[in-house]
Amino acid sequence: MNENLFASFIAPTILGLPAAVLTILFPPLLIPTSKYLINNRLITTQQWLIKLTSKQMMTMHNTKGRTWSLMLVSLIIFIATTNLLGLLPHSFTPTTQLSMNLAMAIPLWAGTVIMGFRSKIKNALAHFLPQGTPTPLIPMLVIIETISLLIQPMALAVRLTANITAGHLLMHLIGSATLAMSTINLPSTLIIFTILILLTILEIAVALIQAYVFTLLVSLYLHDNT
Amino acid sequence: MLSRVVLSAAATAAPSLKNAAFLGPGVLQATRTFHTGQPHLVPVPPLPEYGGKVRYGLIPEEFFQFLYPKTGPYVLGTGLILYALSKEIYVISAETFTALSVLGVMVYGIKKYGPFVADFADKLNEQKLAQLEEAKQASIQHIQNAIDTEKSQQALVQKRHYLFDVQRNNIAMALEVTYRERLYRVYKEVKNRLDYHISVQNMMRRKEQEHMINWVEKHVVQSISTQQEKETIAKCIADLKLLAKKAQAQPVM
Repeated sequence: MNENLFASFIAPTILGLPAAVLTILFPPLLIPTSKYLINNRLITTQQWLIKLTSKQMMTMHNTKGRTWSLMLVSLIIFIATTNLLGLLPHSFTPTTQLSMNLAMAIPLWAGTVIMGFRSKIKNALAHFLPQGTPTPLIPMLVIIETISLLIQPMALAVRLTANITAGHLLMHLIGSATLAMSTINLPSTLIIFTILILLTILEIAVALIQAYVFTLLVSLYLHDNT
Repeated sequence: MLSRVVLSAAATAAPSLKNAAFLGPGVLQATRTFHTGQPHLVPVPPLPEYGGKVRYGLIPEEFFQFLYPKTGPYVLGTGLILYALSKEIYVISAETFTALSVLGVMVYGIKKYGPFVADFADKLNEQKLAQLEEAKQASIQHIQNAIDTEKSQQALVQKRHYLFDVQRNNIAMALEVTYRERLYRVYKEVKNRLDYHISVQNMMRRKEQEHMINWVEKHVVQSISTQQEKETIAKCIADLKLLAKKAQAQPVM
């Protein structure tokens, strides 16, 4: 049971070769590009969605912040498609691996911090002390702010990993519970319904992309503008 | 530079090559071909209007057509599924239920919101086409308006002679009026001068008459002697007495 439960989180290999690379490279195939103005419905809706999200995300940045727009939009699309594809049965979600999330979070966060320190060093250092703190609290507050800054990438990565992994695990558990209950018919229908509800809530894993990109966004914004 | 020298030498040698001298720097790139013929993307190959027909969202229609002469596709499908289940090639596990729920939610979502999304996408495309169409129509309308104004201007040019005639008439009338005014003024001036002469003459004649009358009177008065005067006065008094007597007699009746 234990082995079976976490089996879906093992990075897949085909004869010793990592197939996780293929899994990671697969989602872009679902978002076609087109050189025509009038496309089929799939491309039209996808283009419209991407336009909507990019507009929503990038309006609050200045010119320098908007140079990150390609990075952020591709980030949100990648995480969204990967999470949604992981909901299919017997599929592997790369974002359940902490290694991948750390590899995404640390460079992006470090990029924003370094950019902030390079351009406006006084502003960047000023973040360590919020306005209007009473004088005796200053040393403690600086330490706390430093810790909160340094913990940001870890928080980003671990948040994503934990949420997706927990969701998948829960689905697996409740599925096995229905399997066990299927010999005893009466409560099984109820539990299948809870699976359904859990699934729709889990499809708000897409909201995690929002959470991920937004926190990244907010930190970038703060570093750039203020 | 050397190529230029060579080319100029060649030009002097063979006059037909003189035109080639202008291509001096381009000779090096003559081996590269730029913009010869149509690029492959033009004309753009048209997209098919609808995708291939699919049953159950997964299996293309051609599969069914392919199988119909040989075996029923549904029987084949059912048989395969039952075979996989009974031989435990496909194991019913926890994943089965998750799969069922995921696919159930997906099918429900597609059935419920599919047409809405399709209409939305169609509307987006139609909006794009409508925008382009609008631009084209606006351009055509603009040009049409320009053509119409040009035509009306041309028509106006045809009728310009009316304007010139009217202006000419006006000017002729003005000239006529001034001529007549001046004529009248001349007439008045001449009459003025003639009147002056006439009045001078009249005055002279009147003065002469008065003078003559005065002269005659004076001389007549001078010529009446005193004796004649007494005689005439006595005669007058006698006449008056007679008249008085005649007059008195009348009112008694």
